[in-house]
Amino acid sequence: MKIPAVTPTTLLAAGLLIYPLIFSGPFYLDIGVTFLLAAISASAWNIVGGYAGQVSVGHAMFFGLGAYAPLLCYTLFQWAPIAGIPFGIVFSIALAVLIGIPTFRLTGHYFSMATIAVAELIRIYFGTWDLVGAAIGLQGPATARGWWDLTFRSELPYYYIFLAVLAVLLHLTFLIEHRRFGYYLRAIKAGERAARSLGVPVQQIKIKALILSAVFTSLAGSLYSVKTGFIDPESGFGILVSVQMVIIAALGGAGKLYGPFVGALILIPLQTATNTWFGGGGTGLTFILYGGIIVLIARYEPGGLFELWERIAPRGWRRKNAS
Amino acid sequence: MWRFRVLKAAAAAATLFAFSAAEPVMAADVVKIGILWPLTGNAAAAGQASKAAAEVAVDIINNAHPELGDDLPLAKTAGLPNMGGAKLELVFVDHQGNPSLAQQLATRLITQDKVDVLMGAYQSSCSFTATAVAERYGIPFMVGESAALNITGRGFKWVFRGTPIASDYARTYMRFFGDMKKQGKKVDSIAIVNENTDYGTSVADAIVEEAKKANIPVAIRIPYIASSTDVSAQVLQLKEKQPDVVIFISYTADSILYMKTMKNLDYAPPMVIGDDTGFSDPSFIPAVADVAQGVMNRSAWAIGKPGSTTYKINEMYKAKTGRDLDDTSARNMQSFFALADAINRAGSTDPEKMRDALTKTDLKPEQLMMGYEGVKFDNTGQNILAATYLIQLHDKKYELIWPDKAAEAKLQWPMAGWKK
Amino acid sequence: MLLLQVIVGGLLLGAIYALFSSGLTLIWGMMNFINFAHGEFVMLGMYVSLLVVMWLGGGPAAFGFAAAFSLFVLGVFVYLSLIRYVLRGPMLSQILSTFGLALLLRYTAFWIFSANFVSLPQTSLSGTLNVGGVLMPVPQLVAGVIAILLTIGLHLMLTRTKVGSQLLAVSEDRGAAMLMGIRPDRMQALAWGLSAGAAGIAGALMAIAYPWSPSVGETFGLTAFVVVALGGFGSVPGALLAGLIIGLIQALSAFWFGPIYKDIIVYALFVALLWLRPQGLMGKA
Repeated sequence: MKIPAVTPTTLLAAGLLIYPLIFSGPFYLDIGVTFLLAAISASAWNIVGGYAGQVSVGHAMFFGLGAYAPLLCYTLFQWAPIAGIPFGIVFSIALAVLIGIPTFRLTGHYFSMATIAVAELIRIYFGTWDLVGAAIGLQGPATARGWWDLTFRSELPYYYIFLAVLAVLLHLTFLIEHRRFGYYLRAIKAGERAARSLGVPVQQIKIKALILSAVFTSLAGSLYSVKTGFIDPESGFGILVSVQMVIIAALGGAGKLYGPFVGALILIPLQTATNTWFGGGGTGLTFILYGGIIVLIARYEPGGLFELWERIAPRGWRRKNAS
Repeated sequence: MWRFRVLKAAAAAATLFAFSAAEPVMAADVVKIGILWPLTGNAAAAGQASKAAAEVAVDIINNAHPELGDDLPLAKTAGLPNMGGAKLELVFVDHQGNPSLAQQLATRLITQDKVDVLMGAYQSSCSFTATAVAERYGIPFMVGESAALNITGRGFKWVFRGTPIASDYARTYMRFFGDMKKQGKKVDSIAIVNENTDYGTSVADAIVEEAKKANIPVAIRIPYIASSTDVSAQVLQLKEKQPDVVIFISYTADSILYMKTMKNLDYAPPMVIGDDTGFSDPSFIPAVADVAQGVMNRSAWAIGKPGSTTYKINEMYKAKTGRDLDDTSARNMQSFFALADAINRAGSTDPEKMRDALTKTDLKPEQLMMGYEGVKFDNTGQNILAATYLIQLHDKKYELIWPDKAAEAKLQWPMAGWKK
Repeated sequence: MLLLQVIVGGLLLGAIYALFSSGLTLIWGMMNFINFAHGEFVMLGMYVSLLVVMWLGGGPAAFGFAAAFSLFVLGVFVYLSLIRYVLRGPMLSQILSTFGLALLLRYTAFWIFSANFVSLPQTSLSGTLNVGGVLMPVPQLVAGVIAILLTIGLHLMLTRTKVGSQLLAVSEDRGAAMLMGIRPDRMQALAWGLSAGAAGIAGALMAIAYPWSPSVGETFGLTAFVVVALGGFGSVPGALLAGLIIGLIQALSAFWFGPIYKDIIVYALFVALLWLRPQGLMGKA
């Protein structure tokens, strides 16, 4: 039994726990919340996209379902939005099975393209569907009717809720890494045919991974819409939602436990900083810089920033690379 | 500069004290207005144009502009007279059309930049989330221009909208059709072509509803997805139905594409009405002037005759951007003036006082740069005196043709289109 | 008659799609590389055309050539300075690098040309052709003809010339190609140049028919991916066929069911087809 990298993990956890105490302003808290949300969705994507190597560029389909469910329950039945979260998860599982069975026969780019197509299909359809507010979207309660509406002026409760979800997700991923399921996933990534010939039930494992990934992506979507109090087809199912998950995971290191976390740690502050400095000027410099830095990272660290960490970190702090 | 401003404010405060010792005056030397617009992304063109318009408005308010006449509030004096000549300071942020970012930026403007009031946010999605933040913090929010009906009317205390809304536009069209029928023009059926996001859907829904009331049959309604690569299917459907009037609710690229495709497919309806937006974009006229003669457009903004206040405002805008002021930006600018007027009347940056002054806003038509009947907010925060003109493309310029009392040119009906 | 008009319109639109996608399929097939910045190459081709018309007053031939040439140079440059290194990383770094590149190019254009829409002034390629009652806009018709010529040209080059066989050799087996004295880097740089150059031509032709702004690349981007995947990655004739089919389906479904459903129908058929035939229409199994 290997001893997990205790020191960095505890340091990290401690840092995240006290962040709100240091940066107590609502704006900094919101950045923290945005970061956690990005880390959750990218880590959820990582299970199927990173570990199993099935690059989905349509994960917004789960994110969107999760995001719509709470606000739909609120709009239709006046329920507290959190009551809708289980529905989002159930629909996402159903969708994962429905999508997984046909598309997992495809490999490589074909799988990516199929997932994009399905996500786009759902996005356009929601944009025409009156029950879910069509193009205008759905809103949550503007002011809370009680604590159960989870509508706070302060972002602090969201911060700790999101942090708890991220901790559960990372712990689960950690467990998977060291179980047979995790080895199967990496075997599939390394070579599907070889894995199959060694007796790995490839199709079944892939579907399981997708379901697990979908559950947490859907949860991320629910958290997003409860916090934002608004959802429309573009912010739920838009291709940028999917791409952001892929970018964050790739930036940090896909298929690594802390890869998406590191990616979000770089990307979200980068987005915020460029927008704060240059957004108001309106020259587009925000994205010139943002895009430029992404290009530079891809050019000099194509394997993700986590690899850089593994090269420069003190010996005892390096996680043994599981793959 | 800063010291000078403080001195000036102090001096102004001292003078005021001398006259009315009873009420202490809050001599804020600057009033900070946070503005959220899409300055990048798909709606960047509209956001950028509105930003320039707001900057012109600030110039008009902060500096003395006696040449703009006596009617336009705050133009003649430098700064806000009731606040000792306090200046307005704008803080622009770019929400990129992302509702979650709009929420974050509204929080930033209130808590970090400590702005006194907020304005924004163009896309309805972003207005929804940004106004909710303002509501929670109790900061007035002026919605300059957003289409969705329920931005006002959600029971919010702090949200005001200076622009007319979809149902106002729809009623205007019906009144216009009524006038046309009286003149013997044939308006027996209309067709609606709308892009299917918040803007197009809101306006098209309102038109369908008002047309029902006015007893004008809607021959066909064609929703489509904005930024289409091809619109010939829509044009062919119209060609088949032969409506008397076609109303397009479209963004820039599609508006231009519709005009070109109508010529390509040899379709010339008796009248085309563009619902502002794409048809008001400064890129529209140079692109299609030769194939879209007589196209009508809704606009509450008219440049007016040389020498008029609106003409001078347009000259200021033109000097800054090289383009004419368009209706969308002008409506944002008018909302901005109404907001500044209310802050001045409040005489303070206390949120409650500013809110109170906003609810008591009562601007008369001659005090406006737009063709509204005034600015007056109902208890949901919606301007109920907003109105709009109809204009028509003659040669390379839109001319005001309706209502008759304001008309500066004669209506051309049927339109010439591409048949010259 | 009306139906015939719809069909012709759909095919002309399909030709534009094919034109847009031919460069994309080239490197996708050859290097197994997804280029998210392809739409931005087309966008730059449109702005190059605008500059040529504004500054030099050139006609379609002049700005078409200028766009193709300048984008060819850009494509080679992008390969040598970026893609070459990214290829050594995992497949995800492709998405990362070209997504970043797309933002960089789009907003550099935004910075220089502003967010406003522009369109080309009337060129000698304007107007409409009437063939037995069916109307065909000349710009689209020319785009269609050039799309077909470009497809045939690229296809012949890949299959009949020495350079083409070298390109294919590198894509089949890099190591073996090197042993045969082919320099993979040089061939792949050439492929990127050709791909971007084709995008430049596409941009020049589309600039005649469409108004655009710096974000125009997005409009066509997703459709282009579908065209390439449907045609079979790397199959240039496949992209032409797929482009025409998608244009036709879009036109017919927009006409029969309404324009908001055209993309839903295309995506649904695409997923269904992938399920039945995972290698695309003309891809190798």
